[in-house]
Amino acid sequence: MSARIAGDSVAAGAAVPAARPGSGRTGRWLALAGRHRVALTLAFLIAFPWIAPYEALAVNILVLGLYALGFNLLFGYTGLLSFGHAAFLGGGAYGSGIAIVHYGLHPGLALLTGTLLATLLAAAMGALAIRTRGIYFAMTTLALSMCIYYAFYQAERFTGGENGLRGINVQSVALPGFRLNLLDPTVKYYAVLAVVGVAVWLFSRLLSSPFGAALEAIRENENRAQACGYDVARMKLMAFVISGALCGLAGALQAIHLSIVPIETMHYSTSGQAVMMALLGGMGTFFGPFVGAATFSLLQDGLATLTSHWQLFVGAIFIVFVLFLPLGIWGEVLARLRRAGW
Amino acid sequence: MSDITVGGLPLDLIGLQLVTGVALGAIYVLVGIGLSLIFGLMNVVNFAHGAFFMVGAYVGVFLYGYTGSFWLSLVAAPLAMGLLGLAVERVLVRPLYGRGIDDPLLLTFGLSYVMVESVRIAFGLTGLPFGAPPELRGAVDIGIGYFPLYRLFLIVFSLAVVGALWLFIERTPFGLVIRAGARDPQIVQVLGIEISKVWLAVFGLGCALAGLAGILAAPLQGVTPEMGIPVLAEAFVVTVVGGMGSLAGAVLAGLVVGIVVAMTSLIAPDMTKMAIFALMALVLLVRPRGLLGRAGALG
Amino acid sequence: MVNAAALLARANAPGTAPPILATEGLGKRFGHFRALSDVTVAFPEGGITAIIGPNGAGKSTFFNLISGAFPPSEGRVLFRGQDITGAAPHRFARMGIAKSFQITNVFPHLTVRENVRVAAQARRVRFALFRNRSAYPELTERAEALLAEVGLGARMDRLARELAHGEQRALEIAVALAAEPSLLLLDEPTAGMSPEETRAMMDLVQRLAETRTLILVEHKMKLVMGLCRRLVVLHQGQLLAEGSPDDIRAHPEVRRVYLGKSA
Repeated sequence: MSARIAGDSVAAGAAVPAARPGSGRTGRWLALAGRHRVALTLAFLIAFPWIAPYEALAVNILVLGLYALGFNLLFGYTGLLSFGHAAFLGGGAYGSGIAIVHYGLHPGLALLTGTLLATLLAAAMGALAIRTRGIYFAMTTLALSMCIYYAFYQAERFTGGENGLRGINVQSVALPGFRLNLLDPTVKYYAVLAVVGVAVWLFSRLLSSPFGAALEAIRENENRAQACGYDVARMKLMAFVISGALCGLAGALQAIHLSIVPIETMHYSTSGQAVMMALLGGMGTFFGPFVGAATFSLLQDGLATLTSHWQLFVGAIFIVFVLFLPLGIWGEVLARLRRAGW
Repeated sequence: MSDITVGGLPLDLIGLQLVTGVALGAIYVLVGIGLSLIFGLMNVVNFAHGAFFMVGAYVGVFLYGYTGSFWLSLVAAPLAMGLLGLAVERVLVRPLYGRGIDDPLLLTFGLSYVMVESVRIAFGLTGLPFGAPPELRGAVDIGIGYFPLYRLFLIVFSLAVVGALWLFIERTPFGLVIRAGARDPQIVQVLGIEISKVWLAVFGLGCALAGLAGILAAPLQGVTPEMGIPVLAEAFVVTVVGGMGSLAGAVLAGLVVGIVVAMTSLIAPDMTKMAIFALMALVLLVRPRGLLGRAGALG
Repeated sequence: MVNAAALLARANAPGTAPPILATEGLGKRFGHFRALSDVTVAFPEGGITAIIGPNGAGKSTFFNLISGAFPPSEGRVLFRGQDITGAAPHRFARMGIAKSFQITNVFPHLTVRENVRVAAQARRVRFALFRNRSAYPELTERAEALLAEVGLGARMDRLARELAHGEQRALEIAVALAAEPSLLLLDEPTAGMSPEETRAMMDLVQRLAETRTLILVEHKMKLVMGLCRRLVVLHQGQLLAEGSPDDIRAHPEVRRVYLGKSA
């Protein structure tokens, strides 16, 4: 009983990337790159400040990349389109922000608090949303995230309500033996990268695990996966929670980076941003989310200097991608390399 | 006026608030039906539905400024959105048929950005004030107190629209095709009707309903480029609560949501928005297929 | 009730083995449409039992009920005497019931090898989050052995979607076998196949039945007559007859509604 839009194609989704590295010399190179995807991704991110226009933007991209990465676990690898992930980015941001502003916690503990809050929110939302399938899932997650949005909006005493949570001033981080000066943008970038790097490594482990294989099977064919003996509902919930936790970590980092949590962080338009980044970069590809985050941020940054109506162009570009480049930038690059290798 | 109170509130006030809820619900019903119609037949979630609502309101308000006739706006706004909907289906959505189920959703999401930003460019960022037309201003005594005439009109007019839509779907040959198509697109093809034309018409009709809801909502709150953004989320609540793709469910859920909003604003005004979404969470918990949803809809 | 099923089996089955699967008064309604009513049958362990009947006889409904795709409106399904009515689909798989769908149902964008490996994995390891897949070489070996068994040994690195129709059906069977089922349910395994593909599939079915119980739905009666030990004939949503191929051939009702046209 798989849901399908109008039309009679049997293809479950044209935009699903091929899982095979391809044959020939290119294929072998791609397979090799795939085995070292964490090292290659980190190498790129270490070098990134040299090509980014300025460091604050580079940190933005890093954080948004992690946000898109977490979202992609669900969208690209499990095949579930959530429009509620802003609640986890926001949950992480508020969690860490509140821990610092109201309780004066160490930034490291604040990151943990934020991630934990996002994880709990994801468990609650996931348990409800998993009861619906296909496109209902997108509608349900969106609406549930708005419930959380309004709850945080109302809890003004903790969250600052409409004005957002202000005053998250973390100038330096005390670590055993030394002190990180976050006022130095370079130090800040590499400090954030250290956290993101660990998350990327864990994410890669997860994808390579039997659990990751099962998620891909669920994406490919939910009924078949169930007939194989997988408890699909439970696995989806688990993917949802892990995905929410990763996005929560991104949010926690963002709060410290921006020193403010605007209430819009939780709005569903921010969920849409994750969708856009994942699709621009290439859903279901490992490196795609960072490509997507960089593209989105650079686009936004560049367009905003030209026109206040940059959203018009972002919307139009997104439409063009859906219509003509559903594999996204990185997905398209990989597909072309594969084809060239045959 | 009676002196009976419930929970410290006069019964008359509760009654009036209930009618207010129905009036608000009327808007939700129209928005929800449009979304459900497209969704039930085409399995497409129109993420630009809120944007159609907003542009419909702008078209109506703009025309009202020129002609001074609210009635003309009431016809022109849905007509314009219907035509825009036809164009969108033909040019943008159609190429996606047969692809992944999420693709039209993603596309219309991008489209909503374009529509909102276009309105900002054309009409400015701040929005336009708009009140009920002179002939619908004031209040009338409805037995339990005075009630704004425009809201009463809203109830009656929406009732008429829903009734007409019901007749159209239940009693006309085209309605039969819609009902058949919602069950199984192949039946429609067996009937010798090109299903793509049905999809085109239904998408246009759904967008027209969004536009109509937009101009009807305009006198309640004025118009802003962002007015459709919360409406989209609320329309999803109506669809999920009512039962996916069920038109009767959308009507019922629209009214329920309207009444919940009105009642919450009486008791705890701050919680109004949250109540809408809490209602949906509750329905998902107790009856995931929605009030009138088909069992199969959730697999 | 368990005893009733056992008695029933002894009465019906030519062999004496207790039934691996039995239904009691099984029925299914879709709205006002009654797709199946009051079907009580027992399937003996081992060999092939075919469910036949003309189009619209309720074969696919019956198949979906006994494979757990959806719950019955009334009646029970018993697996080795245990009531499994309404159990979640993944429970069926874990009990040792595997199925192949009528519509080809594989993981299209995974390689042929990964299709079977991930299915084999479902039996052993599901929630290992941070171990590498390659830590379980026995799963890959098992997948490769199964693929060789169904004749896809040379196609293991292709994506499933690139296979020909007949090959996809064979792959689907390998996927089903990966769950190490004691009971394999096949819904029209030769639907849409060329004559060569059909022959290859029937050879495969025969080989598979040497070590497991097979229940298959088929509307081409000739195809199964020579293969199966028992036949169950459905007609208009009801059980018309059951028995050995010879019994069925001789059955007057069956001759009337089914063979009458072709013979």
